[in-house]
Formats: sequence, C-alpha cells, structure tokens
Amino acid sequence: MNAVTIALKDLQIFFKDRGAVVQLVALPLIFIVVFSGALAAIGSEAEEDTRIPLPVVDLDGGTGAQAFLDELERAGGVAVTLVAQETAATDLDERRIARFLTIPADFTGKLDGGEQITLRLTNHPDAPPEETEAVRLVIAGAAQDLSLENQILASLRQMGEMNAGIPEENQIFTPERAMAQARSQFERSKTTPLIAVKETVPAKPDGRASELDEPVQLAVPGFTVLFVFLTAQTTARSIYDEKKVGSFRRLLAAPVSKAALLAGKVLPGFIIALIQTLVIFAFGMFGMRLLGLTPLHLGSDPLAVLIVAVAMALCTSCLGIVIAAIAQTENQIGGLSSLILWGAGILGGTFIPLFILESVMGPVIKIVPHYWANHAFNNLLARGLTLGDVVTDLLALGVFSLVFFAIGLWKFDFD
Amino acid sequence: MAAILEVENLSKKFGEFEAVKGVSFAVEEGEVFGLLGPNGAGKTTTISMLTGVLPPSAGAARVGGYDIRAEMHEAKKINGLVPQDLALYPTLSARANLNFFGRIYGLQGKDLKERVSDVLRIVSLTERADQRIETFSGGMKRRVNIAAGLVHQPRLLFLDEPTVGVDPQSRNHIFESVQRLNRERGMSIIYTSHYMEEVELLCSRVAIIDEGRIIALDTIKNLIALLGGGVINVGLTRANEALLAQLAALPAVKEAALISQPLAPPPGEGAEPKERPASASGVTVKIVAEHSQQAVVNVIGFLNGRDITLTSLEILEPNLESVFLHLTGKKLRE
Repeated sequence: MNAVTIALKDLQIFFKDRGAVVQLVALPLIFIVVFSGALAAIGSEAEEDTRIPLPVVDLDGGTGAQAFLDELERAGGVAVTLVAQETAATDLDERRIARFLTIPADFTGKLDGGEQITLRLTNHPDAPPEETEAVRLVIAGAAQDLSLENQILASLRQMGEMNAGIPEENQIFTPERAMAQARSQFERSKTTPLIAVKETVPAKPDGRASELDEPVQLAVPGFTVLFVFLTAQTTARSIYDEKKVGSFRRLLAAPVSKAALLAGKVLPGFIIALIQTLVIFAFGMFGMRLLGLTPLHLGSDPLAVLIVAVAMALCTSCLGIVIAAIAQTENQIGGLSSLILWGAGILGGTFIPLFILESVMGPVIKIVPHYWANHAFNNLLARGLTLGDVVTDLLALGVFSLVFFAIGLWKFDFD
Repeated sequence: MAAILEVENLSKKFGEFEAVKGVSFAVEEGEVFGLLGPNGAGKTTTISMLTGVLPPSAGAARVGGYDIRAEMHEAKKINGLVPQDLALYPTLSARANLNFFGRIYGLQGKDLKERVSDVLRIVSLTERADQRIETFSGGMKRRVNIAAGLVHQPRLLFLDEPTVGVDPQSRNHIFESVQRLNRERGMSIIYTSHYMEEVELLCSRVAIIDEGRIIALDTIKNLIALLGGGVINVGLTRANEALLAQLAALPAVKEAALISQPLAPPPGEGAEPKERPASASGVTVKIVAEHSQQAVVNVIGFLNGRDITLTSLEILEPNLESVFLHLTGKKLRE
C-alpha cells in the first residue's frame, strides 16, 4: 500500500513537470512523424502507382488464363505483371517481391470443362499480412466472377445442346427452366467456386523484415523503445531528488519497508513507460492517419505486443534503480543516462533497422535490452509473427530486469 | 514519570570514523530535551539511529518501550522526524505534501483530512495550504516541514535544527509551536541545535554533545551553575602553576587554568617555579568566578601588585555557550 502511495505521489510530481512529459511523450511523436514522413515521401516520389504489385506466372497461356488476367485488371487494386516461374521464385527468395500468383498449365482446359481449378498465391514470410489479405480478396473476387460466368455459360450451353435435336414444341428447357438453372449455378458458385485460391508461404529464408517497405512499422516501435528506456532516467532522478531534498530520510524514518520504498520508486517508471507506449502506439495508429501518413498496424497478435510493452516497462524501471544506485551526483545521472540510454538505444536498433545493424556490428548489439524489445516489436508488427515467436525476446527482457533489480538492490545506498 | 526514550552506549561508525561514541541518555514522557553541540558533533547521526534512518553500530535504545534493533517498525509509528533539510516536494502544495506523509503513516479519509487541517492550523498555514511549496518563503517551508512530522500525531518528535535559515518571525513561530505541542498535547520533543539561546528557551534538560560524545547532561540551571558566576578570560604576558594557584585562591574566584597552552612543568624541589615563556601574544588564563564583577576587581588588583602585565580581559556571562566553551575550549559555532 505504501508503495502505491509513493508511486502516486511520484506520478503527481511527474505530470506537473511539463518538460519531462514533453521529453518522454511528445518528443517521440515528433521523431516518428519526421522519420516516417520523410521515408514515405521518398517512397511516393519513386513510385506513383499505389496498386499492390502482383507478379503472375502464367503456365497456361490460353484464353481462359487471359480472361482471368483481364478480370484481375478490371477488379483493380493490384498491378499485374507477367513473370517467368524461375524469376518469380528467385525474386521472392531475395525479397524483391512480396508474393506471386501461379496460373496452372491446364487452366483454360479445366475452365472450359467446368472442372475445379486451383490458383496458387505464394507469399514471402515477411509480406505484410494486410496487404496479402487485400491481394487474396482481389484474386478471389476475380476468380469467383470468372467461375460464375463460366458455370452459367456451361450450363446454358449444355441445355442448348440437349434441346438441339428435339422439335420445338417438345423442348423441355423452357426460358423458365434456363433461368432456374442459371440461379442454381449462381448459388453453387458461391459455395464451390470453380477457381479456388490456395496460399502458400515458403520456408523463411533469412528473417529479413519488411520494415523498409513501411517506415512507420520501424519508426513507431523503434522510437517507443528509445523513449521508454529514457524513463529509467526519470526513475533515477526521482530517487536522487528524494535523497537530495531529504525526503528519502523522512520516508526511511516512517514505517515503510525498504522493499516498499524501492517498489514505490520503481512503479511510477513502469506506469509512465506503459502510458508512453500506449500514447505513441495510439498516435501511430490514429494520429498518423490524420496526418495523411501510413498508420501503424498492430500485426496479427496485439496481445503479444502488450506483453512485450509490459516486459519493456519493467526492464526500464529496474534500469532506473541501477542508475540511481551507481550515480552519485546529478551530473553523473545525466551523463550515465545519456551514455546508457542513448548509446544503448542506437545500438539496439532504435534508429537503424536491426538487420542492417546486425550485418555491420554482429551479435554485439544483443547486449542491450533495447535490442530485444525492438526485435520483439519488429517480429510482431513488421513481420506479422505471434507470441510464440517472441518468447526469446521476452525471456531476455526478463533476465535484464532481474539482473538490473539485483544490482540495484546490491548497490543501492539507503543511507 | 516513565521514559519514552532510553539510549545506552549508542555508537555509529562510518568505516574507521566513529561519528557517535557510546552516547547514553533518557528522555521523560512529556519532556523537551535538548541536544546541543556544534556542527558535526554527532547530533543528526544520533537522531538518525533513533528514527531508523541509520542502523547503529553498537549499543541499544528503546523508543516507547520498543527496541530500535528488533522492533523499529513499531518504534517508527511513535516517532516523528523533522529533518534538518526541507524534506518536502516543492512542486506539490502544502496540503498535498501533508496528505502524502499522512498516508505513509496509514491515515486515510476523514482522519487524514482532519489531521492535515489540524497541523496546518498549528503552523498557521491554512490560508496557503493549496499553494505550491516552491512559492513559499524559507520560514514557511520550515513550518510545513514541521507540520509533515506532526501529521500522524507522534508521541516523540525529533526536531533536527528546525530553525536553520529561518527569519526571526518564523523562528518565533516555531518556538511557540514547539511549546504549545509540549504544553497542550504532552508531546515529548528532542530538539537539536547549535543555537544555545533556542535550547535555553525551549528545553528543560540538555545533553551537550561534542565529537560524538555527551560531555554534560543536566538541567540548564545545573549546567550553567558549573560556571558559578561566569568566566573571565585574562591575557597575561607570563604565567606558571604558582600564579594559577594564587589566582584560584582569590576571593570570588572558583578556579583558574590556562587555555589550550601547556603549563610550565612543576619546579623541582628547592628550585624556583619556572614561568611559561612569554610569547608575542602571551598566555590566556581562564578564571571561573563565583561572582564575576568581584572576581575581576580582585584579579586586576592581584596582578597589579605583582607587576604582571594584563594584555586582555574578556568577561563571559554564565550561559550554555560559556558552559560549552568551558567544557571543550571551543565555541559552539566553530
């Protein structure tokens, strides 16, 4: 209870300090807008066409396949380009394309014969999931239209052939029957379309993310990690101020356990870090849209994003105790914070994409907690992975938190 | 009357440095007890051990019957600490500060509200309760600092140099508050200061502490009585043991001694007593008088009769300052 009382008091003090609030909450938003906006502008200058590129491998080459491609073009939303099968596979491996569609060799024959056909959409593992879904819907729509058209035409052709040798007065396929048949085919096409789309994702080649395709997916988590870890400085400074003015002595003289006292000093940092993450992510999702920039999407596992945010907030709070325990003066807090938080932030890939840093610096970047938080967010937000894929990152953040808390307790000078 | 605080041989070491060297004293319930000593004497360290801020290195103490080593958590509920520093949150209002410290001691709801209003009345800051501490004068901050130590109604209040940097008006207000708390609420108070006037005004008994040791402990009246009618410091060109003995034997003189300079060694049998060699500044003899004015007349007459040159004369009125000087050879503010 005392820990909560201390934490609430610290939060009250924090939110009265406008400078601190601006630094920890508003500043990252400016960074994100500038960073995402600049990269998005570069992207839009390079390519005016906003349609999603869809390379197509046409193994059929017949009229049916051409009709389907025309249907795709009519549907809009995708920019169809014909590519050779080998080229498509290589381009996908090397991440030059996010996906390609394969039209099977017997497409026209089966289409004419009313047989079931399967189109194959091959996606890169890092392809943005919502983009893949959009492409799938366009293909499915075009396939359904073509299925319906062909099924109705086939049944009418069949009725025509059956009526051909029968005298006019004895013909059984009246216009009413033809209409009923057409309606039946229409309903059937909904449940069992002639052309089905099957999605495949080849084995992950090297885990390179698609961050560069969507700068916001890099900027939001990156700057969130950087600025959330800056709250460690707030925790350290709050402890230092408390010691400096003497209120720490007063708290030590009160019936408050040392554990409750430390917890009370850690808790505000934890809460501020969570609020920061919430504000920055909310801005990424809604504010960016209002500014006409690409909004942030939370990937396929928002719960995992929340768990990573909690683990990161805990880690930064514990780091605050370490800084407070080591630094003896206000200047030392400032210096140590700059070194640890900005240095580690840059090393942890908050400014430069992790795969670029990894290729330049190797595994050394993994020594900072920022890396693991950033890596987890990249996996969840940019690569569409789920909680199971970030367990290692969460464990690493947990270990960092434990080590920081242990060092803090060991070195903390309550006197 | 029962003792609310008993201290036995309490010591505190910081590495090799011993800040408090086995102090012992007791404070009665309802007493205002003074700890008088210069800066660095060990007053704050002693208070820090008794309030649980610092663990003692040796010795024992009981606060309200609770052992400060085994039952500090209980002892803390009885104690109230007003530290020397302004231990407040400057960006919060006086009321917010007091609410916080009240909650830390378990006060809530109506009780907390009433207690905060009460202590704001005691320190006469009700009108400015909702203003930020940082907008207050030094004296007002001191008063809030005291209020924060009172909000949970402690039985034993430790006031550590509460008037440092305070204007005379606020100083008087603090004195009145202390006297009222003791008189009207029966609160036991330990008051540390290096201002002897404050201790003389507020405390019934005083422990004089210097270099980590209690060098005298008694009522103010008895401590001052140590000096009889006062102290006269006499500057002479020369002095020896025989001269000091003759001065001490004069009417109205209690004792005579050299100040911080070694005496000339006692003369051998049959030899003339050696005089302490005169220096440029000569020597200073401290004379404790039974009646200072009469003693001055007698001393000057005696020295004139023996052709000993008087280089300076200082008459110290009998008070705690001169008691401290008498006991330690140092001034309180040194």
